[in-house]
Amino acid sequence: MREQLTQALVALLLIAAILLGVEFGVREGYLKAYEFPPASRIVQGFVELTTVGFPTGVTLWTHILVTVVRIAKGYVAAIAIAVPLGLLIGALPVLDKMTAPLVVFFRSVATLSLLPLAIVWFGAGELTKVILIGYGCFWVMLSNVIAGVKYVDPALIRAARSFKVHGWTLYREVVLPAALPRMFAGARVALGVGFMVIVGAEMIGTIQGLGALIMEARSFYRSEITVIGMLVIGVLGFLISSGLAALERLLLPWGGGLGETSR
Amino acid sequence: MSKAEAGPVGAPLPTITSPMIDIRNARKSFDVRGGGKTLVLDDISLSIAPNQFVSVVGRSGCGKTTLLNIIAGLDAASSGEVLIAGRRIVGPGQGQGVVFQQHALFPWLTAQENVAFGARSLPLTKSEKTKRACELLELVGLEASAGKYPREMSGGMQQRVAIARALALDPDILLMDEPFGALDELTRIEMQQELLRIWEARRKTVVFITHSISEALTLSDRVVLLAPHPGRIARDIVIDLPRPRLRTDQGFNALYEQIWSGLSS
Repeated sequence: MREQLTQALVALLLIAAILLGVEFGVREGYLKAYEFPPASRIVQGFVELTTVGFPTGVTLWTHILVTVVRIAKGYVAAIAIAVPLGLLIGALPVLDKMTAPLVVFFRSVATLSLLPLAIVWFGAGELTKVILIGYGCFWVMLSNVIAGVKYVDPALIRAARSFKVHGWTLYREVVLPAALPRMFAGARVALGVGFMVIVGAEMIGTIQGLGALIMEARSFYRSEITVIGMLVIGVLGFLISSGLAALERLLLPWGGGLGETSR
Repeated sequence: MSKAEAGPVGAPLPTITSPMIDIRNARKSFDVRGGGKTLVLDDISLSIAPNQFVSVVGRSGCGKTTLLNIIAGLDAASSGEVLIAGRRIVGPGQGQGVVFQQHALFPWLTAQENVAFGARSLPLTKSEKTKRACELLELVGLEASAGKYPREMSGGMQQRVAIARALALDPDILLMDEPFGALDELTRIEMQQELLRIWEARRKTVVFITHSISEALTLSDRVVLLAPHPGRIARDIVIDLPRPRLRTDQGFNALYEQIWSGLSS
């Protein structure tokens, strides 16, 4: 406990030292403010963002809301398609063998490299952004659902079979619950992917959203705004991911994820 | 259960009562990656009388688990005949209950739900299954932990639940695959006593796989030694020591030596 406290204290001191160093460096002219935005500027920028907005009229809250809604649309759509499809593919080895190379291929394609093509197909509007987020989340989720179903502990299957449980009952009552922890893990990773993709997807065709905020700030040499954008994305990702973890603990009180790793 | 009631135990000679488990010239081979086959079990013939407690002892890789899976109906012999109470085995649920090496409890079910799952295929109502599960948990001394998840229980408790679950279909035969192998020595001895108590209370034919000679000697009416590559029966030894058995007993030690020499030859 005391050791943890010391560690936290040292970490805090280190951050404070860096912030003070930058603050001092900029004030004395050693560093350029647009290269290393000092903390005081970041605080000012934050106040400006929440009151006036940047660009003027678009406050931080709007940016956050727009981004979250875009991620939510793409993410939910991806999960909604990936879960049933993954459950099907995982259950049928033939289907799995046929689709495995495709899944690996599409998952490996960096989502943002699809941006130019996506714009050609779907325009530079909302649809393109949501589709790109959905694409990134989909393949991650799909491969996790398939793996979850495929790599169920064979001992559990044998145990169930020894009680004459087979077929659909076996799938529903053993394979499905056994796959849940992996599916939750996939959902968390997919969310992370969503946050990675969003910044790139919002860099074109919009002035709303955290990605747009970052790009817009760049063109005005407002590095402190860029930093705020980064920080907000980090905090948002952390909060939503924690929410998912809490949901998992609530839905899987038997400690699926925990049990797996401790075994 | 006294020795006199255990019936003639001098197999492999044919027993007078009709055997509970009868394996005749069973062979099992697996396909090897890249073509060809390996023979895992070669010409196994084994006849086990009702209520007999038989241990199968052998080194790792001698096909013990494969033999158990075949009796369990989870795996089929490549050739030969395997009968339970005179009927050819076509699958699980012909009177076999299995306790696996790693308890293999369903982590998302509580102790009671795990045991009730064992009765999943019976035409019982949910409350009847729950009642049966409670009775079985009482039998293994875990009625107070009915609501616990496997990860909240110790290794010994988990194996008790696994035993209770294996009894859920009220099987004639209890098949146990190194069930206490992962437990510490003290828990292990406790579980051995517990198993003997349950065996005496419920009168089952037990096939118990272990690589512990003293465990086999403590528990069984009969010890079958398997030799590896391919798995075959090397010795079949009747253990007629009175119970409870003491490791310090002379007869115990003599048999220990006999089994050890049988395994190392």
